[in-house]
Amino acid sequence: MRNRSSFLTPAILSLALLQMLPFPARAGDQEFRTLVERMSAYYQKRPMRFMGWLNFVANRFTLQGVSHFQIAIFDDIDTSRTPPSEDLESSLASLVGPSYQPFVRVHDVRSGDWTCIYTRESGKARFEMLIVSIDSTDAVLMKMQLTPDALREWVDEPMKKGRDSREEARHAEVN
Amino acid sequence: MNVSYNKIRTSAFLTLFGVMLAGTFSPPAFGQDPRLDIKNLEALSKKASEVVDVNLDGPLLKLASRFMTDEDDREGLEVIKNLKGIYVKSFTFDKPGDYSVEDVEAIRSQLHAPAWSRIVTARDKREGEITEIYLMTERDGGNILGMAIIDAEPTELTVVNIVGPVDIDKLSQLEGKMGIPRLGDQTKEQKPAGHHEKP
Repeated sequence: MRNRSSFLTPAILSLALLQMLPFPARAGDQEFRTLVERMSAYYQKRPMRFMGWLNFVANRFTLQGVSHFQIAIFDDIDTSRTPPSEDLESSLASLVGPSYQPFVRVHDVRSGDWTCIYTRESGKARFEMLIVSIDSTDAVLMKMQLTPDALREWVDEPMKKGRDSREEARHAEVN
Repeated sequence: MNVSYNKIRTSAFLTLFGVMLAGTFSPPAFGQDPRLDIKNLEALSKKASEVVDVNLDGPLLKLASRFMTDEDDREGLEVIKNLKGIYVKSFTFDKPGDYSVEDVEAIRSQLHAPAWSRIVTARDKREGEITEIYLMTERDGGNILGMAIIDAEPTELTVVNIVGPVDIDKLSQLEGKMGIPRLGDQTKEQKPAGHHEKP
């Protein structure tokens, strides 16, 4: 019993410490980590800690047709680093790379919030979606895989889904 | 002999120059591109409370057509399968009067005759809504190259640009989808080919 306890305690402590590491230092695909690092370099800011827990939980409660959900939140960003509206599109395009196709862009003019959604095909009947949401204080990067049916909902109602994703990004920041 | 050769060479150069000049200003360069320059509406963006852009082209449009496997989707698939792109820009305003007729003119100015013909103008005076549908056809009035829809409501202005051959009879299949607003019965008011309104 004592042996088992001595094994479990460091394991739990290690797990706890692992969760405290910034997100890019841990799980997630290499491409997402690269994107996070690029954004991190851009804003000179590390993403929030405990993203591992959030991703772990989110992947168990994602909507039907959504999987491999990953999120990185950069809070209290220096908004003076955010490119002006007319340059934001090209700046984000260079951030996400040419493989992603711009799909929906929502700009709340009053608050200055931007949500840009990109998609690309990802092999066998799977599609990847990348959502970049930037507001006056935070920036959120989300990546997920969608089934064709889930993407079809987006294609049918791109404006509604784009607005919804902006709200989701806001909630992620608040939580 | 030399003089004659020089004359021939000069004349050949002039002919070549003329052909190149004509090519530069040939009809395709004079606005036969059905893709609207929506970026010139940035001034309108500043008056809006929200701006939404939707780009459905290339691989994404192909994907969309691949999903349309249901029986109900057959006509919708017929509409989009040959399209090159659907581009939507929607402005939402806080209150009526936040945008003017002149602002809409920035869009209309791109929809000139002879390249573009307005085929539908529908006004709902009670709701204060105006919908205009424009078509770009080949110069001989044959194939449709693209379509533009301006849907102006008191607090919302939506511009839809469909690039590629559109079957206008089946346009209703796309209403309310892909960012295209619902047009009600307005599409039924289209005039027969060759009797287009000029903007």
